[in-house]
Amino acid sequence: MTDLFQYVPGNSPLHRMNPVTKIALTLSVCVAAFLTDNLFVLLALILFDLMIGVAAGAFRKALAIFRGLFKVSLFLFVLQALFVRRGNRLLWIVTDEGLSTAAGVVLRLLAVCLPLALVLTVTRVSDIAGALVQVLHVPYAYAFTLTTAIRFIPQFMEEMSGIMEAQTARGVEFDTKNIFKKLGLILPLCVPLLISSIRRTGATATAAEVRGFNLRTRASGYKKYGFGLVDLAAVLISAALITGAALIP
Amino acid sequence: MIEVQSLTFRYEVSERDALRDVNLTVPDGAFLGIIGPAGAGKTTLLHCMSGIIPHAFPGDFYGAVRVGGLDTADNRLTDLSRLVGTVFQDVDSQIISSVVEDEILYGLENFGVPHEEIGDRLTAALEQVGISSLRERTIASLSGGQRQKVAIASLVALRPQILVLDEPTGELDPFSSRQIFTLLRTLNREHGMTVVVVEQKIMLLSEFADRLAVLNDGEIVKEGPVRGVLSDIPLLERIGVNCPRAALFSSLLAEKTGTEVPVCVSAEEAVEAARRVMG
Ligand SMILES: Nc1ncnc2c1ncn2[C@@H]1O[C@H](COP(=O)(O)OP(=O)(O)O)[C@@H](O)[C@H]1O
Ligand SMILES: [Mg+2]
Repeated sequence: MTDLFQYVPGNSPLHRMNPVTKIALTLSVCVAAFLTDNLFVLLALILFDLMIGVAAGAFRKALAIFRGLFKVSLFLFVLQALFVRRGNRLLWIVTDEGLSTAAGVVLRLLAVCLPLALVLTVTRVSDIAGALVQVLHVPYAYAFTLTTAIRFIPQFMEEMSGIMEAQTARGVEFDTKNIFKKLGLILPLCVPLLISSIRRTGATATAAEVRGFNLRTRASGYKKYGFGLVDLAAVLISAALITGAALIP
Repeated sequence: MIEVQSLTFRYEVSERDALRDVNLTVPDGAFLGIIGPAGAGKTTLLHCMSGIIPHAFPGDFYGAVRVGGLDTADNRLTDLSRLVGTVFQDVDSQIISSVVEDEILYGLENFGVPHEEIGDRLTAALEQVGISSLRERTIASLSGGQRQKVAIASLVALRPQILVLDEPTGELDPFSSRQIFTLLRTLNREHGMTVVVVEQKIMLLSEFADRLAVLNDGEIVKEGPVRGVLSDIPLLERIGVNCPRAALFSSLLAEKTGTEVPVCVSAEEAVEAARRVMG
């Protein structure tokens, strides 16, 4: 779980693509997923996501993301199926429209989450920040906030599992199947962790300041984020995805 | 040059002074080691030298600290940082980026090192610290020791006039620790960089530093050439600093044989001294 959002070094076309293009592509998948109500279009989008995963050399990771989303999806599916009352009744209180709405919600979730997670696998956070500043002229302070937040995810997880191991050694049973019991054990740990994270964020701000944070301008970046053929291809694909989703009934 | 004059500092939330009436001068080109028990105020003193105190920590600050002639209280932290580079004790709060290469680029970019020069500086810093192979790795995938080296490299790349390091080898094995100190010596001797380092490994520190300052309970209780400081074994024992074995040995040797034995800072010197005394 810890490494789900971690950058994996590589040299695929997706790695080389301009970070701004990658974000645009991700967003167009999201837009397309929300424009359409057609389950087949949603399935096609998921298939497209998986192909992207293959192109990025991260197919196994894509599957892992699927697995991670499975429980949430199941929960959402059951909830929707039970609560949508329109349409013809099929079984007990479940209707055909309920089923298709539920399927739509779940497929949409998968179609949207996959590229969001994949984009972080093929892009260094610093490149996202760098490109936002250089290409889109986003103020550096905002970009820095983004990078710091994303950088804290693995650190937070690392500390969390460290504390849980220590507690397990003292006999606390974190591997309980009871979800409420588990939450009851984990939540109290989050508070001190959050406090230490916030304190550390303060220290990181100082660390940034003593290495010239305030002097940074749009021209500071050493890496240049240019656009190439892959970017053109991605833009065309993005346009095709959105048009397709909007036009196919 | 760093001049600390009658410095007293108390953290805002604290009941007692973290530093009390500290006076210390670090001339240009010096290699100063700072030792002392936990909680003595070593980190606080380094923060005062780099300007992080008073700028980033609220508290009561009396006295004056000047680095390169600039009063730390009157100058922006950013301007002070051009002169003084700091390696933090907590590596994880020092590292800003998620990939090694980016971490070293960060300061180079911000301080406006010309882009033609940045590539070479980056490669050189990685090489000097011995982490060229880690260049593309993510920070999250590194061990504590490797992270420590990245933090050191990111400051070495900046080539500040003064470099202060807070327990820079805390997570390193003996081989890497020696490697880092050898690098610090090269920077100090060949590039004239002033080096101030807080270190627990006193034996190693004594071999490389020119002078030592001993902090205890917020006060400098001794300062001077390495051998002079290490010869005061009762003081070191009283404040709970573990004295290097070689120094202990030479003083015991002097005591037991009633002869004059110079203070030893390495095992080789101790052997040599024993050989001389035993005839
Ligand atoms: N941020 C802080 N806020 C309040 N008190 C602090 C803070 N940092 C350190 N202190 C206190 O100041 C004293 C000196 O700490 P420090 O400089 O970290 O010592 P050392 O580095 O020698 O272990 C200690 O008593 C410590 O508890
Ligand atoms: Mg300390």
